[in-house]
Amino acid sequence: MNETERELITMVLSGRSEAFEPLVTPYRGPILALAYRLTRDREDAREVAQEALLKAFRSLGRFDVSRSFRNWLFQIAANEARDRYRKRSRERAAFDELVDRAPSATTGSAAAGPEAGRDRQELRAGIMRSLAALSPREREVFVLRDLEELDIRETSRVLGCSAISVRVNLSTARRKIRDAIRRDLPHLEEKR
Amino acid sequence: MTCRKVRKLIPLIAGDDLRPGLARAVRAHIDACPRCRAELEGFRAALAEVKSAAKAEGVPEWGEGEWKALMARVAAEAKKAGGSAGGVAVPSFKPRWAAASALGAVIGLAILSVLFRGPSPRPERTPGEIGMVIASDNPRQDRIAIIMVSPESGLQVVWFLDKNFDFKGEQE
Repeated sequence: MNETERELITMVLSGRSEAFEPLVTPYRGPILALAYRLTRDREDAREVAQEALLKAFRSLGRFDVSRSFRNWLFQIAANEARDRYRKRSRERAAFDELVDRAPSATTGSAAAGPEAGRDRQELRAGIMRSLAALSPREREVFVLRDLEELDIRETSRVLGCSAISVRVNLSTARRKIRDAIRRDLPHLEEKR
Repeated sequence: MTCRKVRKLIPLIAGDDLRPGLARAVRAHIDACPRCRAELEGFRAALAEVKSAAKAEGVPEWGEGEWKALMARVAAEAKKAGGSAGGVAVPSFKPRWAAASALGAVIGLAILSVLFRGPSPRPERTPGEIGMVIASDNPRQDRIAIIMVSPESGLQVVWFLDKNFDFKGEQE
């Protein structure tokens, strides 16, 4: 944590709430991106990010200044996303069931290969859909370690679990993603 | 190290997430084994695809109005909390409530101390009286190690407990 952040936190804690905006502005993009990667839903991501920042404000007095402020914000956002996931898991399960029953346009045209006119954007969406195969914990670990590029220790601190738990979940997540890509996007394998 | 064990660790070596000693052993095997090397390359390529797709994927951005509205909510919370530090509502006890709370705590502690008195001194027992000795004068027997191995990833963790079964640390 840098000196400016330390000063801004002191100001907020002494009652100058206007210092909160410059404190969190550098992280507004990253926190929304993290929320989106965890929830895979734009509206949910906005709500998660907003709620996380409000919670950060409310609990700033409990922030340990020896820690990274960004990682602390990530921790709050990850908790918020997890809570939201639990609340919505029933709705999602019903929705996913419907999607699974519908014929998958991605898989069909992916099997036909890039020659079939699939553009890069659809391919990206197909790859990102492989994250749906992950459990909430696996997704958190994968997003933080591989997409946000935190190291194992930072990831374990953000998620409040041990390093070994991060490694086990990360291993499973990577294997599932590799299997999903191999199964749903076989032309990517053939290209190599 | 066998191919089977290495295959379990490949998802982690693909992202350089193994501890150095284990990583060296895995790399030594991979250097000599074309099939494991191909498997590792497959993992690395899949990871690179996901990372690249995630970077290129459009993530939502804050609208300025939305951001201002959020900051206004923060300011409103701070005002509501009576301007206390960082909007963090510090409970303000009036003296009589403080006195009542303190009195309640003292009474509670007194009751707890009566209910949960420490164990009475144990009679001395000779080793012959006990079927199994977990703790003894030998310090090597005062530490218990539990080794757990993840069947999926092949990772293992050792938990150390003391003679009272209190957790004393872990080692990968």
